[in-house]
Amino acid sequence: MSAAVLNVIDLEMAFGGLKVLDGINLEVKAGEIRGLIGPNGAGKTTLLNIICGIHRPQKGDVRLNGASIVGRKPSSIARLGLGRTFQTSQLFQGMTVLENMMAGLHRRSRTGLFAAGFDRPRRRSEEKEMEAAAMSALAFVGMADLAERPATALSFGQQRVVEIARTLISEPALVLLDEPAVGLSANRLAELDTLLRKIRDQKGVTLILIEHVIHLVMGVCDQVTVLSSGRTIADGPPAAVRNDRAVIEAYLGKELSARYQAS
Amino acid sequence: MLFSYLLMSGVTTGALYGLVALGFVVVNKATGVINFAQGEFFMFTGFIAWTLHVQLGINYLATFAFALAFGFALGCLTDRIAFRPIAKSDVVSLVLATVGIAFVLKGLARTIWGGKADYLAFPPITSPDPIMVGNIMVIPQQLAVLAGTAVILLLFVAFFRFTRAGKMMQATADNARAARLVGIRTDRIYTLAFGIGAAIAAAAAVLTAPLTLLYPDIGFAFFLKGFAAAVLGGLSSLPGAVLGGMIVGIAESMAGGYIHSSVMELSPFIVIMAVLVLRPSGLLGPAKTRRV
Amino acid sequence: MAPFGRRNVLLALLAAAIVLPAFANVYHLFIANLILVYVLLAIGLNILVGYAGQLAFANAAMFGIGAYATGLLQVRLGWSFWLAFPSGALLATAVGLAISLPALRLSGLYLALSTLAFAQATQWVFLHWESVTFGAGGFKTPPLSFAPLPIDKPLGLYYLSLVLMLALFLFAQNLVASRVGRAFVAVRDGEVAAQSLGVDLLRYKALAFGISGFYAGTAGGLYSAMLNFVAPEGFDLFQMVLQKAMIVVGGLGSITGSVLGAGLIILLLEALRAFKGLQEIVFGALLVGFVLFMRGGLSSVLKRHVRGWEEPLRLPQPSAPMPAPRPIEAPAVRGEQ
Repeated sequence: MSAAVLNVIDLEMAFGGLKVLDGINLEVKAGEIRGLIGPNGAGKTTLLNIICGIHRPQKGDVRLNGASIVGRKPSSIARLGLGRTFQTSQLFQGMTVLENMMAGLHRRSRTGLFAAGFDRPRRRSEEKEMEAAAMSALAFVGMADLAERPATALSFGQQRVVEIARTLISEPALVLLDEPAVGLSANRLAELDTLLRKIRDQKGVTLILIEHVIHLVMGVCDQVTVLSSGRTIADGPPAAVRNDRAVIEAYLGKELSARYQAS
Repeated sequence: MLFSYLLMSGVTTGALYGLVALGFVVVNKATGVINFAQGEFFMFTGFIAWTLHVQLGINYLATFAFALAFGFALGCLTDRIAFRPIAKSDVVSLVLATVGIAFVLKGLARTIWGGKADYLAFPPITSPDPIMVGNIMVIPQQLAVLAGTAVILLLFVAFFRFTRAGKMMQATADNARAARLVGIRTDRIYTLAFGIGAAIAAAAAVLTAPLTLLYPDIGFAFFLKGFAAAVLGGLSSLPGAVLGGMIVGIAESMAGGYIHSSVMELSPFIVIMAVLVLRPSGLLGPAKTRRV
Repeated sequence: MAPFGRRNVLLALLAAAIVLPAFANVYHLFIANLILVYVLLAIGLNILVGYAGQLAFANAAMFGIGAYATGLLQVRLGWSFWLAFPSGALLATAVGLAISLPALRLSGLYLALSTLAFAQATQWVFLHWESVTFGAGGFKTPPLSFAPLPIDKPLGLYYLSLVLMLALFLFAQNLVASRVGRAFVAVRDGEVAAQSLGVDLLRYKALAFGISGFYAGTAGGLYSAMLNFVAPEGFDLFQMVLQKAMIVVGGLGSITGSVLGAGLIILLLEALRAFKGLQEIVFGALLVGFVLFMRGGLSSVLKRHVRGWEEPLRLPQPSAPMPAPRPIEAPAVRGEQ
């Protein structure tokens, strides 16, 4: 029985008068790929935002490897080992691909203000190490030849992949992927599928994947949680979730789902 | 007596700050940009008006009209030079472009009309003798300023409510992309916004000129105060700009009269910091939006 | 290494700077010293605006605080220059750090305007707090002696400025090519993503403000010693625009560019000394011109045309069309549900 990397306990979140999350409970085990799906407005991204510290919930707790992270700053949660990608490309446009990757190592590197300014040998040696790590991380996702290109020169699909690589390079315990398949062509989707499996098998990182591309989720995830209107309506292996009546109703509405099930 | 004098003086300058602020808000609502040259528009058209009225002897109303037209043209030109080519750029570039324009205008004014120590005096348009309105002592020019401001405001409201251009500008301000999709030429709207913003500054200048001395550095002072007023009112609110202007003008006048005249120059800083710390959306701006 | 490579050009400039006093008269030496002072200002401002993306207008104010503090500590408290000077720099640094706190909540235009208002307030203090600052007329500082070294003041001050500039230039070069430099650019290009990588926004914004404060304060102390005089005019809005022009002309996000930008602009300033109005027109036009046509400044031109001018160019890139500015940004993640 592997340990839980993430525990979400009785989480409630409201914006103004609008209740977005109403008692969410979640447990994600180490090495898992967890899918998080649900119709629009279900609260998926809000949940992600709470986990990574952008919002503070009214009630409930979130624990990363046992430690409570509610109320902490996003950057300090990140330093505890949480990575995240976003729906829109967040590569740093003023840097090259390689520099973006090295930025990903921020929390693992140590050179501070005075060392950076004065201690040339130490800075140089750390830079070399980071460069090497960055190159190998790029090689892992097959983007090594793009290293010296400015981030702006990459296609959308390439940016997505580099961003995932950048999130992984510091070896976080948990990575949140917010709709990584958005805007990807069928080819790229297949590549993403392969990449996600490769990450799970070779890196041992735990992933939570928000997606709307259902076949990707069903294919790659070990377990799927379904949110609807701020509540969990299903939680289990993909096959079970796919046929769950509540899930179908949530997506298709009561009428259509009755017809669907009758057929 | 002092109180009513200060009040009147404050209301008058407040009206002027309100006009400058209005210019800011118009441009900002339409384009999302703060025009750092707004103060220099004010200053430069004031100088032009001086040349027309004092040097060339053209009568006040004609000068007023010409100054408005000149201001409008100046605004449009600024849009073409310093906004349109870089409309998609980062904040730094957009700010520095209008700052550059501001300095070019200031330098031009200094070169054409004289050095830093030179102050240009506008002759009073109305009789300089104060008259009594009820219990309050009033200089007729102050009434002219208030009347002028009221007229401009009415024209404004009419523009936005009844003209097509006004409605297109509102649409653009609300959602530029959607406006483009329905066929509104947003780049022309931006030019119009800049032009209107500058024309309002011109109006304020011509109204102010008989009350104060003109000098090249006056632009920056009005810029800061106008901006403080706009922020106080809520940068996206037109009536807020005027309200903000009034408050800044009156508070400044009172502080100047009762505390010390030097305090008056400090007012923009105090207002801006207070607003940003206490109520960033300003008095009439949108209530703090929740991110859902 | 190519003959006109960046490193060679800089070494050549350094050599020229070292031997300059042998050929220069008092006036030339003064201008050269002024350039060194402005190089410091430009580098510090570039780190804040060009690298960390904080559009702040307070640099001239911190320059003034450095100058005033250095001068007043000597005149009012009788301190020696050698104690007052670092103290002035540290005071300016402290002010920079203090400004960074509201900067955490303000972005873009609002940051620009509140720092502008702050700068104006600082001017006001210089002008009106006469009991301390001597008001509009300014005040003289005690003559500076380099005893026991047998150097007269202009020469000694020049070499002191040169040494400081060199040290702080190298510091800045090293910094921007390190993890700290990358953190700055991350803050500039994507705050939310930067945080998700563990970059503490407050820490790095404070660092950027503090560094620019230190550089400006150091420049201020040197400046006060150069003139033996401190008055409010040296630290006004025009000053601020001058410094912005330097970093734009040199190239935002390029330390070497700041050196070039500062040098060029000071020389231009001196050439136009007689005509203040003309100065304003030229600098305003320079700003507009470079922003429109040469966003990368001289560095980008050099990088493109001169072989061997390699340098990581970290221009801020055009972003999405500007939304209406909000003073306080709740962290924005698009498509939230």
